[in-house]
Amino acid sequence: MQKEILGYKCRKCGHVQYPYRTRCRKCGETVFEGNDIVFDTVPLPRDGKLLTYTDLYALPPEFEVVKLTLGIIELEGGQRVTGQLRVDKPQLGMKLHAEVEVVRKDAYSKNWGFVFYPA
Amino acid sequence: MREVYAVGIGITSFTRLEYPLVEIAGYASILALKDAGLDQVDQVYLANMAAARLNHQTAVASALVDHLNLQPAGAATIENGPASGAAAIKEGFQAIASGMADTVMVTGAERMSEVNQLEATDVVASLSHPLSEAIYGVTLPSLAGMFTRLYMEKYGVTRRHLALVAIKNHANALMNPFAHVQTAISLEGILDGPDAPTNNPIIADPLHFFDVCPVSDGGACVILASAEVAKKLKKPLIRLAGVGQATDTHAVHERENPTDLLAVRLAARKAYEMAGIKPADVDVAELHDAFTILEIAESEEVGFFKKGEGHLALEQGETKIGGKIPINTSGGLKAKGHPVGATGVGQAHEIVTQLRGAGFKRQVKNAKVGLTLNFGGFGNNVVCLVFAKE
Repeated sequence: MQKEILGYKCRKCGHVQYPYRTRCRKCGETVFEGNDIVFDTVPLPRDGKLLTYTDLYALPPEFEVVKLTLGIIELEGGQRVTGQLRVDKPQLGMKLHAEVEVVRKDAYSKNWGFVFYPA
Repeated sequence: MREVYAVGIGITSFTRLEYPLVEIAGYASILALKDAGLDQVDQVYLANMAAARLNHQTAVASALVDHLNLQPAGAATIENGPASGAAAIKEGFQAIASGMADTVMVTGAERMSEVNQLEATDVVASLSHPLSEAIYGVTLPSLAGMFTRLYMEKYGVTRRHLALVAIKNHANALMNPFAHVQTAISLEGILDGPDAPTNNPIIADPLHFFDVCPVSDGGACVILASAEVAKKLKKPLIRLAGVGQATDTHAVHERENPTDLLAVRLAARKAYEMAGIKPADVDVAELHDAFTILEIAESEEVGFFKKGEGHLALEQGETKIGGKIPINTSGGLKAKGHPVGATGVGQAHEIVTQLRGAGFKRQVKNAKVGLTLNFGGFGNNVVCLVFAKE
Protein backbone atom coordinates (compact mmCIF):
# COMPACT_ATOMS: atom_id res chain seq x y z
CA MET A 1 0.00 0.00 0.00
CA GLN A 2 1.28 3.43 -0.91
CA LYS A 3 2.05 5.50 2.20
CA GLU A 4 1.11 9.17 2.31
CA ILE A 5 1.68 12.03 4.73
CA LEU A 6 -1.70 13.62 5.32
CA GLY A 7 -2.71 17.24 5.60
CA TYR A 8 -5.92 18.18 7.41
CA LYS A 9 -8.40 20.25 5.41
CA CYS A 10 -10.74 22.47 7.41
CA ARG A 11 -14.41 21.79 6.59
CA LYS A 12 -15.22 25.46 7.12
CA CYS A 13 -12.53 27.41 5.26
CA GLY A 14 -10.74 24.72 3.25
CA HIS A 15 -7.28 25.54 4.67
CA VAL A 16 -4.98 22.49 4.71
CA GLN A 17 -2.90 22.35 7.85
CA TYR A 18 0.05 20.20 8.79
CA PRO A 19 0.67 18.97 11.44
CA TYR A 20 -2.77 18.09 12.83
CA ARG A 21 -4.28 20.34 15.47
CA THR A 22 -7.78 20.47 16.92
CA ARG A 23 -8.52 24.01 15.68
CA CYS A 24 -7.97 25.27 12.15
CA ARG A 25 -4.80 27.38 12.11
CA LYS A 26 -6.38 29.78 9.62
CA CYS A 27 -10.01 30.37 10.64
CA GLY A 28 -9.87 29.02 14.21
CA GLU A 29 -12.88 26.72 13.69
CA THR A 30 -13.36 23.21 15.05
CA VAL A 31 -16.03 21.33 13.10
CA PHE A 32 -17.91 18.56 14.95
CA GLU A 33 -19.95 15.65 13.58
CA GLY A 34 -21.72 14.35 16.65
CA ASN A 35 -18.93 13.88 19.20
CA ASP A 36 -16.21 13.65 16.56
CA ILE A 37 -13.93 16.43 15.46
CA VAL A 38 -13.69 16.18 11.70
CA PHE A 39 -11.21 17.32 9.07
CA ASP A 40 -10.95 15.99 5.51
CA THR A 41 -7.59 14.30 5.05
CA VAL A 42 -5.67 15.01 1.87
CA PRO A 43 -2.25 13.63 0.90
CA LEU A 44 0.30 16.45 1.05
CA PRO A 45 1.95 17.35 -2.28
CA ARG A 46 5.29 15.63 -2.92
CA ASP A 47 7.04 18.46 -4.74
CA GLY A 48 8.49 21.56 -3.22
CA LYS A 49 11.50 23.81 -2.78
CA LEU A 50 14.18 23.80 -0.12
CA LEU A 51 13.99 26.70 2.36
CA THR A 52 16.84 25.74 4.69
CA TYR A 53 18.81 22.67 5.80
CA THR A 54 21.50 21.39 8.12
CA ASP A 55 23.93 18.48 8.16
CA LEU A 56 23.52 17.03 11.62
CA TYR A 57 26.44 15.04 13.02
CA ALA A 58 25.30 14.65 16.65
CA LEU A 59 22.42 12.24 16.18
CA PRO A 60 19.86 10.69 18.47
CA PRO A 61 21.24 7.32 19.66
CA GLU A 62 19.14 5.02 17.45
CA PHE A 63 20.30 6.55 14.15
CA GLU A 64 23.03 4.29 12.82
CA VAL A 65 24.53 6.80 10.39
CA VAL A 66 27.30 9.39 10.75
CA LYS A 67 25.33 12.27 9.30
CA LEU A 68 21.72 13.15 8.67
CA THR A 69 20.64 16.03 6.45
CA LEU A 70 17.45 17.71 7.63
CA GLY A 71 15.57 20.49 5.89
CA ILE A 72 12.48 22.64 5.83
CA ILE A 73 10.64 22.40 2.51
CA GLU A 74 7.82 24.51 1.13
CA LEU A 75 5.46 22.19 -0.75
CA GLU A 76 3.56 23.19 -3.87
CA GLY A 77 0.37 23.68 -1.86
CA GLY A 78 2.17 26.22 0.32
CA GLN A 79 2.45 24.01 3.40
CA ARG A 80 5.87 23.79 4.96
CA VAL A 81 7.25 20.55 6.32
CA THR A 82 10.40 19.28 7.98
CA GLY A 83 11.98 16.25 6.34
CA GLN A 84 15.13 14.25 5.72
CA LEU A 85 17.18 15.06 2.62
CA ARG A 86 19.10 12.66 0.38
CA VAL A 87 20.80 15.34 -1.66
CA ASP A 88 24.56 15.54 -2.26
CA LYS A 89 24.93 19.30 -2.41
CA PRO A 90 21.79 21.01 -1.17
CA GLN A 91 21.15 24.54 -2.45
CA LEU A 92 18.59 26.91 -0.95
CA GLY A 93 15.62 27.20 -3.32
CA MET A 94 16.33 23.93 -5.19
CA LYS A 95 13.38 21.80 -6.28
CA LEU A 96 12.90 18.53 -4.41
CA HIS A 97 10.59 15.54 -4.65
CA ALA A 98 9.54 13.48 -1.63
CA GLU A 99 9.15 9.77 -1.08
CA VAL A 100 7.48 8.45 2.05
CA GLU A 101 9.93 6.11 3.79
CA VAL A 102 10.85 4.86 7.23
CA VAL A 103 12.63 7.82 8.82
CA ARG A 104 13.10 6.59 12.38
CA LYS A 105 12.83 3.20 13.98
CA ASP A 106 13.63 1.56 17.26
CA ALA A 107 13.08 -1.92 18.67
CA TYR A 108 9.33 -1.34 18.96
CA SER A 109 8.17 0.94 16.20
CA LYS A 110 8.76 2.39 12.76
CA ASN A 111 7.96 5.97 11.81
CA TRP A 112 7.20 6.90 8.22
CA GLY A 113 7.90 10.37 6.92
CA PHE A 114 9.12 12.54 4.05
CA VAL A 115 12.51 11.84 2.50
CA PHE A 116 13.38 14.40 -0.18
CA TYR A 117 15.43 13.77 -3.31
CA PRO A 118 16.48 16.17 -6.09
CA ALA A 119 13.44 16.66 -8.35
CA MET B 1 -0.56 44.15 41.89
CA ARG B 2 1.87 44.12 44.81
CA GLU B 3 5.53 44.78 44.20
CA VAL B 4 7.94 41.84 44.22
CA TYR B 5 11.61 41.84 45.29
CA ALA B 6 14.50 39.38 44.85
CA VAL B 7 15.90 39.10 48.37
CA GLY B 8 18.14 36.05 48.24
CA ILE B 9 20.21 34.17 45.67
CA GLY B 10 22.20 30.95 45.59
CA ILE B 11 23.85 28.82 42.93
CA THR B 12 25.92 25.65 42.52
CA SER B 13 28.74 25.34 40.03
CA PHE B 14 27.32 24.48 36.63
CA THR B 15 29.42 21.44 35.75
CA ARG B 16 29.24 17.67 36.13
CA LEU B 17 27.90 17.15 39.67
CA GLU B 18 28.03 13.75 41.36
CA TYR B 19 25.04 14.41 43.62
CA PRO B 20 21.36 13.46 43.33
CA LEU B 21 19.12 16.08 41.72
CA VAL B 22 17.40 17.05 44.96
CA GLU B 23 20.72 17.66 46.70
CA ILE B 24 21.80 19.91 43.83
CA ALA B 25 18.55 21.85 44.16
CA GLY B 26 18.89 21.84 47.95
CA TYR B 27 22.41 23.26 47.90
CA ALA B 28 21.45 26.27 45.77
CA SER B 29 18.29 26.76 47.84
CA ILE B 30 19.96 26.74 51.24
CA LEU B 31 22.53 29.29 50.06
CA ALA B 32 19.70 31.54 48.90
CA LEU B 33 17.70 31.15 52.11
CA LYS B 34 20.79 32.04 54.16
CA ASP B 35 21.53 34.95 51.82
CA ALA B 36 18.00 36.27 52.39
CA GLY B 37 18.11 35.56 56.12
CA LEU B 38 14.97 33.40 55.96
CA ASP B 39 14.41 29.88 57.23
CA GLN B 40 10.86 29.40 56.01
CA VAL B 41 8.87 30.39 52.92
CA ASP B 42 5.18 30.30 51.98
CA GLN B 43 5.65 28.67 48.58
CA VAL B 44 8.27 26.67 46.67
CA TYR B 45 8.57 26.32 42.89
CA LEU B 46 11.13 23.93 41.49
CA ALA B 47 11.93 24.39 37.82
CA ASN B 48 13.02 21.15 36.19
CA MET B 49 12.58 19.82 32.69
CA ALA B 50 13.33 16.14 32.67
CA ALA B 51 13.88 14.46 36.05
CA ALA B 52 11.29 11.84 35.09
CA ARG B 53 13.46 10.71 32.18
CA LEU B 54 16.96 11.67 33.26
CA ASN B 55 16.80 10.76 36.95
CA HIS B 56 13.70 8.51 37.16
CA GLN B 57 12.16 10.82 39.72
CA THR B 58 8.89 12.76 39.64
CA ALA B 59 7.26 15.35 41.95
CA VAL B 60 10.69 16.78 42.70
CA ALA B 61 9.34 19.98 44.33
CA SER B 62 7.78 17.88 47.11
CA ALA B 63 11.10 16.09 47.54
CA LEU B 64 12.93 19.42 47.80
CA VAL B 65 10.56 20.75 50.45
CA ASP B 66 11.16 17.60 52.49
CA HIS B 67 14.92 17.76 51.96
CA LEU B 68 15.01 21.30 53.40
CA ASN B 69 12.35 20.84 56.14
CA LEU B 70 10.17 23.51 54.55
CA GLN B 71 6.83 21.81 55.29
CA PRO B 72 4.05 22.89 55.19
CA ALA B 73 5.00 25.35 52.37
CA GLY B 74 3.03 24.97 49.15
CA ALA B 75 5.11 23.36 46.40
CA ALA B 76 4.94 22.63 42.69
CA THR B 77 7.34 21.52 39.99
CA ILE B 78 7.35 23.79 36.94
CA GLU B 79 8.19 22.03 33.67
CA ASN B 80 8.36 24.42 30.75
CA GLY B 81 11.20 23.01 28.67
CA PRO B 82 14.37 25.10 28.66
CA ALA B 83 12.26 28.07 29.86
CA SER B 84 11.25 26.25 33.06
CA GLY B 85 13.45 28.51 35.20
CA ALA B 86 12.02 31.88 34.25
CA ALA B 87 8.51 30.38 34.04
CA ALA B 88 8.90 29.34 37.70
CA ILE B 89 10.04 32.86 38.59
CA LYS B 90 6.92 34.15 36.84
CA GLU B 91 4.80 31.82 39.01
CA GLY B 92 6.59 33.15 42.10
CA PHE B 93 5.97 36.72 40.97
CA GLN B 94 2.26 36.00 40.52
CA ALA B 95 1.99 34.38 43.95
CA ILE B 96 3.41 37.45 45.67
CA ALA B 97 1.86 40.10 43.41
CA SER B 98 -1.58 38.58 43.99
CA GLY B 99 -1.15 38.55 47.75
CA MET B 100 -1.33 34.76 48.04
CA ALA B 101 2.23 34.52 49.37
CA ASP B 102 4.75 36.84 51.04
CA THR B 103 7.82 34.70 50.41
CA VAL B 104 8.52 32.29 47.54
CA MET B 105 11.58 30.14 46.94
CA VAL B 106 12.16 29.60 43.22
CA THR B 107 14.79 26.97 42.55
CA GLY B 108 15.87 25.53 39.21
CA ALA B 109 17.84 22.31 38.93
CA GLU B 110 18.76 19.69 36.38
CA ARG B 111 21.06 16.69 36.52
CA MET B 112 21.78 15.69 32.93
CA SER B 113 25.00 13.72 33.34
CA GLU B 114 23.06 10.70 34.57
CA VAL B 115 22.72 9.81 30.86
CA ASN B 116 25.25 10.25 28.04
CA GLN B 117 25.31 13.45 25.97
CA LEU B 118 23.48 12.08 22.93
CA GLU B 119 20.70 10.76 25.14
CA ALA B 120 20.52 14.08 26.97
CA THR B 121 20.20 15.85 23.60
CA ASP B 122 17.44 13.42 22.61
CA VAL B 123 15.57 14.04 25.88
CA VAL B 124 15.66 17.79 25.20
CA ALA B 125 14.58 17.10 21.58
CA SER B 126 11.38 15.54 22.95
CA LEU B 127 10.06 19.10 23.19
CA SER B 128 9.88 19.27 19.37
CA HIS B 129 6.72 18.34 17.48
CA PRO B 130 6.43 14.53 17.81
CA LEU B 131 5.05 13.69 14.37
CA SER B 132 6.28 16.51 12.19
CA GLU B 133 9.76 17.09 13.67
CA ALA B 134 11.00 14.53 16.21
CA ILE B 135 10.50 11.47 13.98
CA TYR B 136 12.98 12.88 11.47
CA GLY B 137 15.80 13.02 14.02
CA VAL B 138 15.34 16.71 14.75
CA THR B 139 17.35 17.95 17.73
CA LEU B 140 17.67 21.47 19.09
CA PRO B 141 21.09 21.86 17.43
CA SER B 142 19.54 20.90 14.06
CA LEU B 143 16.77 23.51 14.42
CA ALA B 144 19.44 26.05 15.33
CA GLY B 145 21.56 24.97 12.34
CA MET B 146 18.66 25.53 9.91
CA PHE B 147 17.92 28.90 11.54
CA THR B 148 21.58 29.94 11.33
CA ARG B 149 21.80 29.15 7.61
CA LEU B 150 18.86 31.47 6.90
CA TYR B 151 20.24 34.18 9.16
CA MET B 152 23.60 34.07 7.39
CA GLU B 153 21.92 34.20 3.99
CA LYS B 154 19.61 37.09 4.90
CA TYR B 155 21.71 39.30 7.16
CA GLY B 156 25.33 38.55 6.28
CA VAL B 157 26.18 36.89 9.58
CA THR B 158 29.33 34.77 9.16
CA ARG B 159 31.00 31.99 11.12
CA ARG B 160 33.40 34.68 12.39
CA HIS B 161 30.52 36.51 14.08
CA LEU B 162 29.38 33.29 15.70
CA ALA B 163 32.92 32.65 16.90
CA LEU B 164 33.07 36.16 18.41
CA VAL B 165 30.04 35.33 20.58
CA ALA B 166 31.74 32.17 21.82
CA ILE B 167 35.07 33.93 22.48
CA LYS B 168 33.37 36.73 24.44
CA ASN B 169 31.30 34.37 26.54
CA HIS B 170 34.22 32.05 27.27
CA ALA B 171 36.22 35.10 28.39
CA ASN B 172 33.36 36.18 30.70
CA ALA B 173 33.09 32.67 32.12
CA LEU B 174 36.74 32.82 33.17
CA MET B 175 35.66 35.55 35.61
CA ASN B 176 32.76 33.46 36.94
CA PRO B 177 33.81 30.71 39.37
CA PHE B 178 30.45 28.93 38.90
CA ALA B 179 30.82 28.60 35.11
CA HIS B 180 31.11 25.17 33.49
CA VAL B 181 33.65 25.96 30.78
CA GLN B 182 36.83 27.60 32.06
CA THR B 183 38.78 27.76 28.80
CA ALA B 184 39.88 30.79 26.81
CA ILE B 185 39.39 30.30 23.07
CA SER B 186 40.65 32.30 20.08
CA LEU B 187 39.73 32.87 16.45
CA GLU B 188 42.87 30.98 15.50
CA GLY B 189 41.97 27.98 17.60
CA ILE B 190 38.36 27.63 16.48
CA LEU B 191 38.15 29.28 13.05
CA ASP B 192 41.33 30.34 11.24
CA GLY B 193 44.21 28.17 12.44
CA PRO B 194 45.38 24.83 11.03
CA ASP B 195 43.94 22.94 14.01
CA ALA B 196 40.56 24.69 13.92
CA PRO B 197 38.75 21.92 11.96
CA THR B 198 39.92 19.37 14.54
CA ASN B 199 39.27 21.59 17.57
CA ASN B 200 35.91 22.73 16.31
CA PRO B 201 34.10 20.00 14.33
CA ILE B 202 30.67 20.41 12.73
CA ILE B 203 27.69 19.62 14.97
CA ALA B 204 24.80 20.91 12.85
CA ASP B 205 26.22 22.74 9.87
CA PRO B 206 26.86 25.72 9.86
CA LEU B 207 27.09 25.38 13.65
CA HIS B 208 30.26 23.87 15.06
CA PHE B 209 31.21 22.51 18.47
CA PHE B 210 32.06 25.94 19.91
CA ASP B 211 28.70 27.35 18.77
CA VAL B 212 26.80 24.98 21.04
CA CYS B 213 26.35 25.09 24.83
CA PRO B 214 27.62 22.22 26.99
CA VAL B 215 25.37 19.69 28.71
CA SER B 216 25.59 20.64 32.40
CA ASP B 217 24.32 19.76 35.83
CA GLY B 218 23.49 22.56 38.22
CA GLY B 219 21.09 24.38 40.45
CA ALA B 220 20.21 28.01 41.13
CA CYS B 221 17.77 29.74 43.45
CA VAL B 222 16.14 33.14 43.84
CA ILE B 223 14.02 34.02 46.89
CA LEU B 224 11.19 36.43 46.11
CA ALA B 225 9.39 38.51 48.73
CA SER B 226 6.74 41.18 49.11
CA ALA B 227 7.82 44.79 49.74
CA GLU B 228 6.88 44.47 53.38
CA VAL B 229 9.14 41.46 53.91
CA ALA B 230 11.92 42.77 51.66
CA LYS B 231 12.19 46.03 53.59
CA LYS B 232 12.78 44.14 56.85
CA LEU B 233 15.64 42.07 55.38
CA LYS B 234 19.05 43.70 55.20
CA LYS B 235 19.65 43.22 51.48
CA PRO B 236 19.91 45.63 48.55
CA LEU B 237 16.39 46.22 47.19
CA ILE B 238 16.23 44.59 43.77
CA ARG B 239 12.72 44.70 42.33
CA LEU B 240 11.39 42.20 39.80
CA ALA B 241 9.92 45.05 37.80
CA GLY B 242 8.82 43.39 34.58
CA VAL B 243 7.65 39.92 33.57
CA GLY B 244 6.65 38.97 30.03
CA GLN B 245 5.93 35.64 28.39
CA ALA B 246 4.91 34.75 24.85
CA THR B 247 4.53 31.65 22.70
CA ASP B 248 4.93 30.72 19.02
CA THR B 249 4.12 27.71 16.80
CA HIS B 250 5.27 24.32 18.07
CA ALA B 251 6.75 23.18 14.75
CA VAL B 252 9.38 25.66 13.57
CA HIS B 253 8.47 25.08 9.88
CA GLU B 254 5.05 26.66 10.43
CA ARG B 255 6.44 30.14 11.17
CA GLU B 256 5.63 32.68 8.54
CA ASN B 257 9.06 34.28 8.65
CA PRO B 258 11.54 31.67 9.86
CA THR B 259 14.21 34.23 10.82
CA ASP B 260 11.87 36.05 13.22
CA LEU B 261 11.69 35.05 16.88
CA LEU B 262 8.27 36.55 17.53
CA ALA B 263 7.86 35.11 21.02
CA VAL B 264 11.14 36.77 22.07
CA ARG B 265 9.98 40.10 20.68
CA LEU B 266 6.58 39.91 22.38
CA ALA B 267 7.85 38.61 25.74
CA ALA B 268 10.38 41.45 25.91
CA ARG B 269 7.77 44.02 24.91
CA LYS B 270 5.48 42.89 27.72
CA ALA B 271 8.30 42.94 30.28
CA TYR B 272 9.39 46.45 29.25
CA GLU B 273 5.81 47.68 29.41
CA MET B 274 5.29 46.34 32.93
CA ALA B 275 8.61 47.77 34.08
CA GLY B 276 7.93 51.09 32.34
CA ILE B 277 11.31 51.11 30.60
CA LYS B 278 12.79 51.01 27.10
CA PRO B 279 15.47 48.64 25.75
CA ALA B 280 18.01 51.49 25.99
CA ASP B 281 17.47 51.63 29.78
CA VAL B 282 18.90 48.11 30.24
CA ASP B 283 22.48 48.09 31.64
CA VAL B 284 23.20 44.35 31.57
CA ALA B 285 21.48 41.32 30.04
CA GLU B 286 21.59 37.55 30.17
CA LEU B 287 20.34 36.13 26.85
CA HIS B 288 19.67 32.47 26.04
CA ASP B 289 22.74 31.61 23.94
CA ALA B 290 22.24 27.85 23.78
CA PHE B 291 23.65 28.43 20.29
CA THR B 292 25.84 31.41 19.39
CA ILE B 293 23.37 32.58 16.72
CA LEU B 294 20.68 32.99 19.38
CA GLU B 295 22.61 35.65 21.27
CA ILE B 296 22.81 37.68 18.06
CA ALA B 297 19.16 37.17 17.06
CA GLU B 298 17.82 37.73 20.58
CA SER B 299 19.86 40.92 21.03
CA GLU B 300 17.86 42.25 18.08
CA GLU B 301 14.45 40.90 19.09
CA VAL B 302 14.67 42.36 22.63
CA GLY B 303 15.34 45.74 21.01
CA PHE B 304 19.00 46.37 21.83
CA PHE B 305 19.82 46.54 18.11
CA LYS B 306 17.88 46.74 14.86
CA LYS B 307 16.88 43.46 13.22
CA GLY B 308 19.83 42.19 11.20
CA GLU B 309 22.38 44.42 12.96
CA GLY B 310 23.17 42.46 16.11
CA HIS B 311 26.27 40.92 14.56
CA LEU B 312 27.60 44.38 13.67
CA ALA B 313 27.20 45.60 17.27
CA LEU B 314 28.93 42.45 18.47
CA GLU B 315 31.82 43.12 16.09
CA GLN B 316 32.14 46.64 17.53
CA GLY B 317 32.45 45.22 21.06
CA GLU B 318 29.16 46.74 22.20
CA THR B 319 28.13 43.54 23.99
CA LYS B 320 31.38 43.08 25.95
CA ILE B 321 31.76 44.10 29.58
CA GLY B 322 32.51 47.83 29.26
CA GLY B 323 30.50 48.05 26.02
CA LYS B 324 27.14 49.74 25.46
CA ILE B 325 25.09 46.74 26.61
CA PRO B 326 27.11 43.88 28.13
CA ILE B 327 25.49 40.52 27.30
CA ASN B 328 26.07 37.26 29.17
CA THR B 329 28.54 38.51 31.77
CA SER B 330 28.14 35.11 33.47
CA GLY B 331 29.48 33.33 30.40
CA GLY B 332 25.96 32.62 29.16
CA LEU B 333 24.63 29.17 28.43
CA LYS B 334 27.54 28.85 26.04
CA ALA B 335 30.21 28.82 28.75
CA LYS B 336 28.49 29.11 32.12
CA GLY B 337 26.55 25.99 31.11
CA HIS B 338 22.96 24.90 30.48
CA PRO B 339 21.40 22.62 33.09
CA VAL B 340 18.09 23.10 31.27
CA GLY B 341 15.61 23.56 34.11
CA ALA B 342 18.06 25.66 36.13
CA THR B 343 19.07 28.04 33.34
CA GLY B 344 16.38 30.71 33.73
CA VAL B 345 16.97 30.91 37.47
CA GLY B 346 20.74 31.00 36.88
CA GLN B 347 20.24 33.99 34.58
CA ALA B 348 18.28 35.80 37.32
CA HIS B 349 21.06 34.93 39.78
CA GLU B 350 23.59 36.69 37.56
CA ILE B 351 21.45 39.79 37.08
CA VAL B 352 20.75 40.14 40.81
CA THR B 353 24.50 39.70 41.43
CA GLN B 354 25.24 42.48 38.94
CA LEU B 355 22.60 44.85 40.36
CA ARG B 356 23.98 44.24 43.86
CA GLY B 357 27.42 45.25 42.54
CA ALA B 358 28.79 41.85 43.55
CA GLY B 359 30.12 40.77 40.14
CA PHE B 360 33.80 41.26 41.06
CA LYS B 361 35.95 41.14 37.90
CA ARG B 362 32.92 40.81 35.65
CA GLN B 363 30.95 43.63 37.32
CA VAL B 364 29.21 46.05 34.96
CA LYS B 365 29.73 49.56 36.37
CA ASN B 366 26.64 51.27 37.79
CA ALA B 367 24.29 48.52 36.65
CA LYS B 368 20.78 49.54 37.73
CA VAL B 369 18.51 47.68 35.32
CA GLY B 370 19.05 44.11 34.12
CA LEU B 371 17.18 41.79 31.75
CA THR B 372 16.98 38.00 31.38
CA LEU B 373 15.66 36.17 28.34
CA ASN B 374 14.88 32.49 28.80
CA PHE B 375 14.09 30.73 25.50
CA GLY B 376 12.07 27.51 25.55
CA GLY B 377 11.54 25.10 22.70
CA PHE B 378 13.12 26.55 19.63
CA GLY B 379 11.54 29.88 20.51
CA ASN B 380 8.01 28.62 21.07
CA ASN B 381 7.84 29.61 24.75
CA VAL B 382 9.85 32.57 25.95
CA VAL B 383 10.00 34.41 29.27
CA CYS B 384 11.61 37.82 29.73
CA LEU B 385 12.31 39.36 33.14
CA VAL B 386 13.41 42.88 34.05
CA PHE B 387 15.08 43.56 37.40
CA ALA B 388 15.66 47.08 38.76
CA LYS B 389 17.78 48.32 41.64
CA GLU B 390 16.03 50.76 43.97
